[in-house]
Amino acid sequence: MVSDEILRTHLQELRRGTVVVASLVALRQPGYGYALLQRLTGHGFPVDANTLYPLLRRLEEQGLLTSEWNTEESRPRKFYRTSDSGEALLGRLLDDLAAVQTSLTGLIQGVDR
Amino acid sequence: MTSLTDRYLAATLRSVPAARREEIATELRASIDDMIEGRTADGHDTATAEREVLTELGNPAQLAARYADRRLQLIGPTYYLAWERLLKLLLSFIPALVGIVVGLLEATDGDKTGGAVGAGIGSAIEVAIQIAFWVTLVFAILERTNTPLNLPDWTVDQLPEYRADRQITLTDTAAGIGWLVLVIAYLPVQHFHSFVPNPNGGNLPILDPALWSFWLPFLIAVLVATVGLEFAKYRAGRWTWPLVAVNALLDLAFAVPVIWLMSTDRLLNPDFVARWEWLGREENLNTVATVVVVSTILITLWDVVDSTIKAYRNRH
Repeated sequence: MVSDEILRTHLQELRRGTVVVASLVALRQPGYGYALLQRLTGHGFPVDANTLYPLLRRLEEQGLLTSEWNTEESRPRKFYRTSDSGEALLGRLLDDLAAVQTSLTGLIQGVDR
Repeated sequence: MTSLTDRYLAATLRSVPAARREEIATELRASIDDMIEGRTADGHDTATAEREVLTELGNPAQLAARYADRRLQLIGPTYYLAWERLLKLLLSFIPALVGIVVGLLEATDGDKTGGAVGAGIGSAIEVAIQIAFWVTLVFAILERTNTPLNLPDWTVDQLPEYRADRQITLTDTAAGIGWLVLVIAYLPVQHFHSFVPNPNGGNLPILDPALWSFWLPFLIAVLVATVGLEFAKYRAGRWTWPLVAVNALLDLAFAVPVIWLMSTDRLLNPDFVARWEWLGREENLNTVATVVVVSTILITLWDVVDSTIKAYRNRH
């Protein structure tokens, strides 16, 4: 039986890139930090707040997200939305994710590509 | 009174680039308030919820580093191996070299001979610390500025030669160096602690103190060079002709002065000789001189011949 520590680090490694993919998918509909956090958690993508908030800013700097301030509600909130280049990148990432899944299935079933 | 959230924001924003501070502050505050609200809706009181949320967000310095995309490491994998290699290279000989030079200078300086060994070791340690500090500082700066090093890529040609049949073993080298270091250390030590008291209760050096003006430092330099030869021999793994030549040269550089000084009665301290009735007699001193000269010649000859035979065996 593997120790919890080893299991945790391997799961973390496996999940690392999927937060970006999940965020780009979720933000096809505009959303702000905390709401996105709730949505991702609700869909089985548990992510730490101190990872997600800086990540959103980084994706914005890379031009993958656009943002807009909404000051109509009780407190000013920054709404993010997946940009066109974010959508293009997401397409590539989803293709790759599917390719990984296909390869893995093939490997498990012993079928050569 | 400032709330915990205010203090948390201030601590986080302190190390975030000023240009983005305002915007991050507004957004992070809203996010924290959202999180607190989410928890109070579940029935927690506001103060507890605030503590929990800030605890969840974690160390402000770490959060700020994530916002600023800053690395939480002094020297990362890009530079670590270059740093390690340079540090090892510099530490392998510079502190020892400086220590020996300083020790020799102190020893030859008439007034301060007492602390020569201590001064040498002290300077060696000081130099080692300085090297470690400055090399690490430079690499830490490179890490932060992302400066490319442009080092040549690793190639298979850099693999060290593997020799199962090495002629020069680690044990031989370690013993050789250990012996040389003892001899090097003994030369200054006998000057201060020969364990032979003079009639006034002071210390009586065995070797003639007049030799410190040139010959003893020269012999120490030859011995230090021989330590270097031991390293070179170990790296090569076997005797090569250049090593044989350098070895013979160093052997002669040591033996010739010793033989010459001994046969002209200049090696031993005249006061030391006079202290012993037996040694003080002319014929006995000559016997000692002959024994020293002959054994020096034999040892030197044996060492040169031995290295030559071993190199000769390696020729094919």
